[in-house]
Amino acid sequence: MFQHLPLPLRQPVSGLITALSGILATLAPWIRGPGLELAGLTPDWPLIWVVAWSVRRSVWEGAVAGLTLGFLQDALTSSRPTHALELAIVGILTARLQKQRYVQEDFISVALIVFGMVVIAETLMALQWTLFSAATLNTPTLSSLGSELGDAPRSLASIWLTHQKNTLISAILSSLWAPVLYLPLSACWDPQDAKKAK
Amino acid sequence: MSILAMGLALAIRQSNGKVLVESYRWMTALWQPSIDHTLIMSQAANQELQAQVAELQYQNRELKKLLGFSDQILPDGLPAPVIGRSADHWWQQLTLARGSLQQVKPGDVVMAPGGLVGRVQQVTPHTSRILLISDPTSRVGVMVSRSRHMGVMRGSGSQTAILEFFDKNPKVEVGDNVVTSGLSSLYPAGLVVGKVRAINLDASPAPQAQVDLTAPLGLMEWGLIYSYVPAPTLTP
Repeated sequence: MFQHLPLPLRQPVSGLITALSGILATLAPWIRGPGLELAGLTPDWPLIWVVAWSVRRSVWEGAVAGLTLGFLQDALTSSRPTHALELAIVGILTARLQKQRYVQEDFISVALIVFGMVVIAETLMALQWTLFSAATLNTPTLSSLGSELGDAPRSLASIWLTHQKNTLISAILSSLWAPVLYLPLSACWDPQDAKKAK
Repeated sequence: MSILAMGLALAIRQSNGKVLVESYRWMTALWQPSIDHTLIMSQAANQELQAQVAELQYQNRELKKLLGFSDQILPDGLPAPVIGRSADHWWQQLTLARGSLQQVKPGDVVMAPGGLVGRVQQVTPHTSRILLISDPTSRVGVMVSRSRHMGVMRGSGSQTAILEFFDKNPKVEVGDNVVTSGLSSLYPAGLVVGKVRAINLDASPAPQAQVDLTAPLGLMEWGLIYSYVPAPTLTP
């Protein structure tokens, strides 16, 4: 994509696009538009970004990207439970998949991977919530004012109900929207990958 | 032929062009706005009710003043546009485009047409993050407006919330209004929250009711931020 750019410019420009797209993917869930919303939920853009990034990269790079985007998402919602864990694991697993070995067609397989990863990520989130609510069960009055955690711990029933709803809807929506983010990003990262492959 | 045409035209002229006008009306019927009588009537009724509410609020305020009743009466709210929804599926949050530079602080109460929405959780210079009352971690002390029976309402991630009563046998009926109670430390008393949709008196720890939140949380484009200092919570 950047072949026409002079050599010293290629890396900074591609790095800038990577950083910008990552930040935009973290902010994207704020926006609700036609086709973007199903039962009040949006596609999990940060997760799609991490999958798109890790698909052709090493485990280490996937983990770093997952942690970074997870921290960004924590900053926008709440740091407990953390999103960094789920996204890092998504990055690691996606990098471990070695997609090329099994599937040829690009964006269809990415949609499938996103589908699976949403299920894993939401389950990790629900497990964190469960641990968390068990830990705070004995202290019913959390200092509530302005607290990061809301007023009271979630009940177990509500955690797993939310998990069910999130997983189903978000997995479908995210995998349908995944190519929109994946295709331009992979076009932008391709030259680097080609270099690495050599 | 020409005589026929002239004759027709004359006939139309003699009938004051009724045929023409009628056929024009018929042709343009597609573009004519239809008048929805029920809508207009309900809007008129709504306006009348709003006027009555304003009048009663005024009378109420004057009477309280006469009694020397000291209550936190909310001053005017600060209108703020919604610029973002929850950035994650697990939280029910809103981001409003007013922040600490406009004297918004954590703990402030947010209302919208329809009633209570939530409270400010975190502020930046130009934005504030709102925890909605529909969030599963939110707890609001509420009471049934008619019978004054109290309870705690928790969100369920949707437009319906769950009210748990303190009383084993609360007097509540479907359609009752639910307002914040005086025991709520995070919200001032008397704010409209919702309407009871269904009641389950046999629920296990305490009787429950499903409450439809009156403020349309998913459709909000503006919120009103009211400065509020929460009452200090009693710690055992």
